[in-house]
Amino acid sequence: MIDRKRTARLFATACAVFAILGTTVQAAPPVYEIEIRNHLFEPDEITIPANTKVKLVVINRDPTPEEFESFELNREKVIMGGSRAIIFIGPLPPGEYPFFGEFNPDTALGKIIVSDDDAG
Amino acid sequence: MLVNSVIIVLREVLEAALMIGILLAVARHVPTGRRWLLVAFVLALGGAVAYARNLATVSAMFGGVGQELLNAGMHLGVFAALVVVVFYIARRHGDVGERSRVLPAAMAVAVALAVAQEGSEVFIYVSGFLQVEEFASGVTLGSIAGAGIGFSVGVLFYYALVGQPEGRARWIAVILLAFAAANMCIQATNLLIQADWLPSAAPLWDSSALLPEDSLVGQLLYALVGYEATPSALEAGTYGIGFAFILLAAFAGWWLFPIEEAHA
Repeated sequence: MIDRKRTARLFATACAVFAILGTTVQAAPPVYEIEIRNHLFEPDEITIPANTKVKLVVINRDPTPEEFESFELNREKVIMGGSRAIIFIGPLPPGEYPFFGEFNPDTALGKIIVSDDDAG
Repeated sequence: MLVNSVIIVLREVLEAALMIGILLAVARHVPTGRRWLLVAFVLALGGAVAYARNLATVSAMFGGVGQELLNAGMHLGVFAALVVVVFYIARRHGDVGERSRVLPAAMAVAVALAVAQEGSEVFIYVSGFLQVEEFASGVTLGSIAGAGIGFSVGVLFYYALVGQPEGRARWIAVILLAFAAANMCIQATNLLIQADWLPSAAPLWDSSALLPEDSLVGQLLYALVGYEATPSALEAGTYGIGFAFILLAAFAGWWLFPIEEAHA
């Protein structure tokens, strides 16, 4: 009744298809690093590709805590002194997205530029 | 530093203060005692300090998104507690003398989780910058002022509600709590998107030109109803579901499980 060989082949094909799909779907997003020093973002401007999810790593080199915040990006995350935080952003349409350090909003200012061309 | 401290602490305190004001007003009309608030504050203070002290560890968990997951969990906890609160408020038809045990417990959970979360951020900010000598006085004064303004707004809501007749106060409270609960849902969704546990999508609309999120009214609406200028379909959807859930809990309590006034 059940053709075992055919079932096994079908199963193997399905596995292969899912494996390929899996690797493309889970392809690691590009990583961008920003440091906080003396309540300033370094760099204070980064350019990321449009319509792409990216992983932002924010490293707080100050001894004091900071809160990465952006109304435009809908992001908010506390970063303790001397530690790092991961924040996923995008996929986003081209444009400028300002962010700031909520605990030092006068100095800690930056923006993410989402650009159409692939220049990173 | 002074003005910044006022704004930072006010933003954190406002949301919790509004919820406490509404719940305390409910407690005036529906007998719950006052002990739940004390229990909630003790739990919240302990929770806030413990969370703040371990934030770096929590953040590093789950591939660096532990903070988002814990905060989202706490928001959903507040939401669940508010569903229970509304159900029990709606059940009571008229002046039922009997005291419920579930209602004050749910109120305590909602307040404890909300205050613990906002409190941990205030604790991190204040303890972090008190150590910097040039900032210490500004942070101290600013934080006290910010907390004072936040709680004053809560008190204002409390008296506005207490001044209403019992029936109307109850239904206004239910509507306000529905907004607060929907706010918890949209914030939890947003945190899960930030953690990449939920998919990110283009905003459904952009009302930032009409009403910027960082304006005074925008901030007040953010705290009260969870205003978001650029929500994605997922965020708007969970907001709507959260709001509908509260209304459903209210109708279920009112029609399906009423506690009638005893005519003895």
